Amino acid sequence: MSARDTLATAVEEGRCGDRLWLYATYHCNLSCGYCLTESMPGIANRRTLSSGMLIRLAREARELGFEAIGITGGELFMLPDAAETLAEIASLLPTVALTNATLFTDRLLERLAPLADLDIALQISLDSDSPDRNDALRGPENFARVERAIPALLERGIRVRIATTVEDQTEAELARLCALHRSWGISDDDHLVRGVVRRGRAELAGMGITPGPTDILPELTITADGAFLHPFGPTVRHGVTDLDLLVSRQVLPLERAAERFLRIVSDQPVGTDVARNIR
Amino acid sequence: MSRLRLLQRDEAPLPARTIYAADGSASPLKRSLANAPDLLETLLPFLGQIYDEGAVDLATKELVVVRVSQLNACRYCLAAHRPLALECGVGPEQLAAVCDEIPLEVLAERERTIIEWADCYVLDPAGITDQLVARVLDHLRDDQLVELALLIGATQLLNHFCTAFDIPPTA
Repeated sequence: MSARDTLATAVEEGRCGDRLWLYATYHCNLSCGYCLTESMPGIANRRTLSSGMLIRLAREARELGFEAIGITGGELFMLPDAAETLAEIASLLPTVALTNATLFTDRLLERLAPLADLDIALQISLDSDSPDRNDALRGPENFARVERAIPALLERGIRVRIATTVEDQTEAELARLCALHRSWGISDDDHLVRGVVRRGRAELAGMGITPGPTDILPELTITADGAFLHPFGPTVRHGVTDLDLLVSRQVLPLERAAERFLRIVSDQPVGTDVARNIR
Repeated sequence: MSRLRLLQRDEAPLPARTIYAADGSASPLKRSLANAPDLLETLLPFLGQIYDEGAVDLATKELVVVRVSQLNACRYCLAAHRPLALECGVGPEQLAAVCDEIPLEVLAERERTIIEWADCYVLDPAGITDQLVARVLDHLRDDQLVELALLIGATQLLNHFCTAFDIPPTA
């Protein structure tokens, strides 16, 4: 059976997701306490995938039958050619790109304009409606920058999703946050709330939950270190990448990594990620 | 101190976990190789066939492995293969000879000729003469010589790997 057929069967059986995740870079302008990858401004090893590599992976993903692309990091927009790369990838497959939305200058917003005509969403992290609370988790001025960026993106016709990482937020606080995103015109369907996963920096800080084997849907995830079982796999502690969820060092051709991923997925119990919403 | 991460079973990549025993143990060499799980798919079966009994008996093979490891001064492989050689029927005197602790003259003609050829194969392959090959072929068939040549190649690979990365010998 070809990798394409095996993937289709595995997706149909609920053994894995149909999205390919790409870690564009581990470099970031923020240094969040719960970061899985110890991303920060001065990170020694940025583990960046070039624009050409990202586009090639997306192209091969489409050929293999993946239905969507997810791009994360680090902060994608630390890369100088991120806007053009995103447009190229989103022209191949529906795309969600995770960003902290703190680097959206007018010039960058102009370069992002072509995204309005493509099937892409920018998923922006926002953890509280309170600037102080949010910024304590995500860094100084984060709330203000996000608050400026979101309307600017929406005005340009670019779809925005909000992702909230829950640690100790109250129900009332989350309700206020929902009211805020609704006021921007972002529906509840485009608001993702999930717990902190106890890996990477969060594990060192004793934060978050340890997911069970069926809590996270396997989704093939490519980084500069290799291919992983899901996007919570390629975590970093003390500068060293965790390998416990590595499925392949070889990522090109993508089919080779996908075959190894599918071999592991076929041996695992069918899971559901609805309980903890960890995606 | 190893220059590579020696991965415990629960931190090893998923495809590499099969190389660990049920109690989670594995040699330091295997724990270092686990960093590159893709290569294990072909490397371990290859090494398994090369080091297992084949057309050449295990005692001869281990004698050659120890000799090559001695020439390459590989601490890890000597520690691993000296006891193994004894288990496979290599005599203590033969072992001492290939480790340069006593003269090679104590070896029987067959072993001495094989070791002479192995020394040349490692140290000066261009210096191997037709006469030397003819002498070693008095004791081995062509296919056995091929098998020993590949065994030497694999041992050199592991000697260099273990020495360059300072893989600690198993206690």
